Amino acid sequence: MKKESLLEVKNIKVEFGTNRKNKIVAVDGVSFKILKGESFGLVGESGSGKSTIGRAIIRIYDLADGVILYKGQRISGKISKSLDIDITKKIQMIFQDPIASLNERAKIGYIVSEGLYNTKYYISDEDRKEKVIKALLDVGLFPEFASRFPHEFSGGQRQRIGIARALIMEPELVIADEPVSALDVSVRAQVLNLLLELQDKLGLTYLFISHDLSVVRYITDRVAVIYKGKILELAKTEELFEKPLHPYTRALLSAIPVPDPRREKNKKIEIYNPSCHDYSIDKAEWVEVGSGHFVLANKKEIKEYRRILFS
Amino acid sequence: MKDDVILSVKDLVIKFNLRGRILTAIREVSLDIFRGESLAIVGESGSGKSVLVKSFIGLLDENGWIDSGKIIYKGTDISQYKSEQDWLKIRGREIAMVFQEPMTSLNPLKTIGSQIKETVILHSRLRSKAAKRKSIELLEDVGISQAEKRFTQYPHEFSGGMRQRVVIAIAIACNPSILICDEPTTALDVTIQAQILDLLKYLKVKYNLTIIFITHDLGVVANIADRVAVMYAGDIVEIGKSEEIFYNSQHPYTWALLSSLPQFAEKGKFLYSIDGMPTNLFNDIEGDAFAPRNKNALKIDYVIRPPYFSISPTHKARTWLLDKRAPKVHPPNSIKELHKNWRGNH
Repeated sequence: MKKESLLEVKNIKVEFGTNRKNKIVAVDGVSFKILKGESFGLVGESGSGKSTIGRAIIRIYDLADGVILYKGQRISGKISKSLDIDITKKIQMIFQDPIASLNERAKIGYIVSEGLYNTKYYISDEDRKEKVIKALLDVGLFPEFASRFPHEFSGGQRQRIGIARALIMEPELVIADEPVSALDVSVRAQVLNLLLELQDKLGLTYLFISHDLSVVRYITDRVAVIYKGKILELAKTEELFEKPLHPYTRALLSAIPVPDPRREKNKKIEIYNPSCHDYSIDKAEWVEVGSGHFVLANKKEIKEYRRILFS
Repeated sequence: MKDDVILSVKDLVIKFNLRGRILTAIREVSLDIFRGESLAIVGESGSGKSVLVKSFIGLLDENGWIDSGKIIYKGTDISQYKSEQDWLKIRGREIAMVFQEPMTSLNPLKTIGSQIKETVILHSRLRSKAAKRKSIELLEDVGISQAEKRFTQYPHEFSGGMRQRVVIAIAIACNPSILICDEPTTALDVTIQAQILDLLKYLKVKYNLTIIFITHDLGVVANIADRVAVMYAGDIVEIGKSEEIFYNSQHPYTWALLSSLPQFAEKGKFLYSIDGMPTNLFNDIEGDAFAPRNKNALKIDYVIRPPYFSISPTHKARTWLLDKRAPKVHPPNSIKELHKNWRGNH
């Protein structure tokens, strides 16, 4: 059964800076589809543009070019007010820093219902309170917490509050931008388990943005590798980790520290040198080299990649 | 060679006063650090790993103090040091520290060169020209190309990885014997992280350093450490050679820490996670601090604090499970997989 696509990003470009002199292209011609019910990962190093893509999808940043479709409907650029509210509900975000992302002066009950207030997505105050209780229970917190302040909670609990705030809107797509990077190992495991459990229970689709490749490998179904604003490779997660094709992907994967001293002390790290590509005549294209395995490469490289993939 | 202890911690207790309440951050920790080794201290936030190493250079926060115990460095008990003057003999010259954030540990208003030179002048007899020459040498040593040009630049002109290299250069400027690295690669990308780890290994040999490495990333530990100490609730619960900790761990907390790594999890299955909350260090702890979170805890775990049981001359763990009378408890499956790598007595 072929899954339908929930979100489609087509050739998007995001630029910063006003005039031509200090213009920075943060995202350059990126395209991908997120299927309903899957976890799609976006990995890359700092400054690669992965967070910018997430922010462009929830329309914090405007596109310089390209289009974003949600269930086939355009949601980028100018859209009607009703669609705007609808999309705000359907696409929610979880942020990295559980300390900075919660308003210190507001009670948890208010923080969690802020989205409801903004979109008037509740019938009465009773209804709102009920929704808050349900959201808190969903993320494994007690309803009494609604009357407390963020400073009373640990990092892991704060991240749960951040997740409750997204869930209360009954979203379909959740963009998680480094949701566990600031957490300790054991708390990280709890939050990852919670994300998996919620996906199962509520049928959520995740866009998971992270630089932590071992977390991405564990949680995502498909993954795209982004470097300097361009996607270089996209494949099913296991295939990408087993058979990375693009030299940048290989370099990135080789650098992950493995918690196994014998392997770690004998490993070889590959170094990516962008000048290894010769795109002067034979231009690079975005090509599907194997089933669902895309890579940015020229004709000569494609031949080589196919050989590796099918060997 | 192995007997050459450079720093020895004996029954160290460190307390903090937080708004009138007393918190015990380090609970009778004893630890020998050997010359030329790299020791990794792992544990979660609040386990006391940073507090422990900060006490080696007199950098405890003002509300904290060494309550009892000794820290013996090259024959002197430095835990008795009170004045800043005393500590200046140790800090930088003998024991230097690299912090986590390369962004905040450099002064943004001063050139890289002047910040290194400042340290060189403060701690050595070198003056202006010679100090500058030494500073440029240091920059080259930590792998910064065009060091002479970089010398006159400001921190904002450096990337995160490069800044961390500069911080390391400053730390080794006065030839310390011990280099403490507190999460030095946490804020960096994996490719840069790998480079910094390689740099530290290179410097360790060249400058004859003993490295104490604090991190919660067990992948990094596997890369750099000769020995690993696992901390929980202000105590070292298990310590041993890197292979002993990864392939033959004995303490339930070490098991829990390793099993909650996504690298050992099966896809689509839930990750192992530790139930309950971290131990409250404001309270007096009776028995084994980890007992309330340990499914296999024995009755005695709630009453008497376990002593260290030796597994090998280099490996010991504080858990009653190693007592002869204890029932046989099997580690989680992911740990059993890891233990398959263990070759035993070698």
